[in-house]
Amino acid sequence: MKTNKKFNTGEFLRNNMAWVLLVVCCIIFAFISPNFFSLINIINILNQNAYIIITALGISFIMMAGEVDISVGFAISLNGVIVALLMTKLGIPSFLGVIISIVLGIVIGLVNMLVAYKLKLQLFMATVGTTTIFQGLAFVMTQSKTISDLPVAFKAIGQGYIGPMPIPVLIAIILFIMVSFILNKTYIGRYVFAIGGNVEAARLAGINVFGMKIFIASIAGFMTGVGAIILSARLGSVTANMGTGLEFTIITAVLLGGVSVRGGEGKISGVVAGVLILAILSNGMQLARLDVYYQFVAKGIIMLAAIGFDVFQLNRKKKATIKVPVTEELTK
Amino acid sequence: MGKTLELEHVSKFYPGVVALDDVSFSIEEGQVHALMGENGAGKSTLIKVISGAIKPEMGNIVIEGKHFTSLTPGLSKEMGIGVIYQEFNLVPTMSVVENIFLGEKIGNQIMPNFGEMHRKAQEIFAEFGVAIDTDAMVSELTPGKQQLVEIAKTLTRNVKLIIMDEPSASISVADVQTLFRIIGQLRKKGVTIIYISHRMEEVFEIADAVSIMRDGKYVGTKAMREVSRKDLITMMVGRELNESYPVRPQEAGGCVLEVEHLFGNGDRDISFSLRKGEILGIAGLVGAGRTELAKVIYGAEKLDRGKIKVNGKEIKIRSPHDAIVAGIGYIPEDRKNEGAFLEFPIDWNISIMSLPRLSKGMVVAVKKIDELANQFQKMLGIKTPTIKQYVKNLSGGNQQKVVVAKTLATNSNIIIFDEPTRGIDVGAKQEIYQLMNELIKKGISIIMISSEMEELIGMSDRIIVMHEGTVQGELQKEDFSQNKILEYASGL
Repeated sequence: MKTNKKFNTGEFLRNNMAWVLLVVCCIIFAFISPNFFSLINIINILNQNAYIIITALGISFIMMAGEVDISVGFAISLNGVIVALLMTKLGIPSFLGVIISIVLGIVIGLVNMLVAYKLKLQLFMATVGTTTIFQGLAFVMTQSKTISDLPVAFKAIGQGYIGPMPIPVLIAIILFIMVSFILNKTYIGRYVFAIGGNVEAARLAGINVFGMKIFIASIAGFMTGVGAIILSARLGSVTANMGTGLEFTIITAVLLGGVSVRGGEGKISGVVAGVLILAILSNGMQLARLDVYYQFVAKGIIMLAAIGFDVFQLNRKKKATIKVPVTEELTK
Repeated sequence: MGKTLELEHVSKFYPGVVALDDVSFSIEEGQVHALMGENGAGKSTLIKVISGAIKPEMGNIVIEGKHFTSLTPGLSKEMGIGVIYQEFNLVPTMSVVENIFLGEKIGNQIMPNFGEMHRKAQEIFAEFGVAIDTDAMVSELTPGKQQLVEIAKTLTRNVKLIIMDEPSASISVADVQTLFRIIGQLRKKGVTIIYISHRMEEVFEIADAVSIMRDGKYVGTKAMREVSRKDLITMMVGRELNESYPVRPQEAGGCVLEVEHLFGNGDRDISFSLRKGEILGIAGLVGAGRTELAKVIYGAEKLDRGKIKVNGKEIKIRSPHDAIVAGIGYIPEDRKNEGAFLEFPIDWNISIMSLPRLSKGMVVAVKKIDELANQFQKMLGIKTPTIKQYVKNLSGGNQQKVVVAKTLATNSNIIIFDEPTRGIDVGAKQEIYQLMNELIKKGISIIMISSEMEELIGMSDRIIVMHEGTVQGELQKEDFSQNKILEYASGL
């Protein structure tokens, strides 16, 4: 009984590690900077990071299914650039821009998945290639210049408020609820975990693995599209560089949230906490007037720690599964 | 003549299994010594003990008079033992010569002497009378030539004993003849050979003596000229049915599944039928194409040609989903990699194949899943405090029950059990057998692939025996005998 209980505490901490860490971070920065806990600062953090949360929700699907996508940063750049060009050069209306951005996001997600499928690569390797293509295209299209003068209606999506709530935060909340629902309540969600947990068993269980991957790529692409809209709209201008480095922030956040690189596990609420931990660290460091480049160092260390923890868990599990038969043998 | 290798009371235990049970025998110097036995008789474990891959719990290994309680791979090499496994240990992207001298040092520490290496490699091949370009990439060679590279690899050292594990299994007929010629040359040079094979005709062709293993025990050694094939089969089988199998009334009905001239996944021209309420056993050696057949029927591998009829109607099965819809279930032999979702709870596992039925719209009905899981926990006697337990924390037998429950929950009428009792203890085995009988009572039909003779004979109503991707023979209940099955399985 005792060992059982101990195990559950470990499991609880593991499942909620991100929230525990988030609370710890908040406490530390509240001490360092008195401004940290002001309502304005908190809403500000949420607002600034809404697009990351949204995109991370999509990437979580991919990682829960056991794959990694590193193209998301430049996918957002490319998406933002194309839509901004369409709106400023061709004068298409904002609502059409929104729709195109979402469709484009889904198309990019599907392209990644199909490239991986056709070349029989892991999605990670496929996106190493596609991300470079996206980057190149984004720079070619902008000629490395900033595209400003986005339509006012479009900018409102990123800069407007409904009551005290910034619109990006509202959208993030709605999408979070949607994603939680899919993952936790529907059988599609269970299929995602099944594929991440054991893809061959999932196939033999009659799950259409390829169909599910298409679905997962579409969801992730949809989120990338929304993320691109919010980022461009909030900034009010678009550059080919705007998504740079986002992929690593998101992967770090998703890992911090307890999603394993091996797939099959993780809670979507943990991912939100993961994004917020990283956000608070950079916000706190800004408030503490630390040089911005220290944030890169900090993020890198945190990412390694998150992956290290993930691998540590894997090793522990392996050891545990080996230990069981040995003890059985001894009792015989 | 002296003894190259002696084993004294060697035992090796795995949880719930005695892999080697007090094995003692010796190999004469300069002989080709065949080692035979059914699947799971302990041959592979024995090789691993000799090659130092595993440590035995008890006993001594004596090599040329030196006693060891266990070996390491390095020590085994040093003592002049070379092993050629069924799966070659070659680096496909490196040249022949690089592979032959992998891990060996010719020349000084920093600059290997490639000229010397080439010369030595060519010398070995010339001696064998085979033409292999030492610069060729290993991946470009035929399996037969790759095997010669493996053999050459052992000959760069002062090798005294070469163990070959099913060397003829993956190479062509012509290459087998070359292999035999080389084995003859090696014997003349005084190299001792342990030759493991299921193929009787080969053993009679090249071996001087044969040792038989059965159920982890050493049965006996015979000089090749004093034994017949029948003797060998009797020695390999030679046991009473010592387990009891639950009895059930025999009342097979009409055909529920017909397979006609099926080709695919390495199997050729397979036809058989399954009647309602019967257990059809599929016997065969490892690699005979049994699991491959099951996967084609289940839609997990591609059907190239042929017909599958369910209840007299031809159906197209393109995916496991199609099979499940047609009422066919498959319970994989590889529980950990293909059957169970170890990192998920029992109820999650049991319900995963039946979720659309257990959902309202897209939303999973947790209550229905709980009911289903509880029902199966009782029905199969899954020993666990709660159905929320993670499957990885269950014993092998209980994991197997969860995997079975997962398929049963789909309400299949035809269930293919692939090695249903592999790696589970005797008690759980009995429970699985009982369960099969209950399923038969309910009018479900079962195909049981098994490598355990006793289980096949005890449980089946009819047995088809496969050999190298085809059906070699079919046996009715009254004709069941282990000798007959093994004869068919060996292709005799």
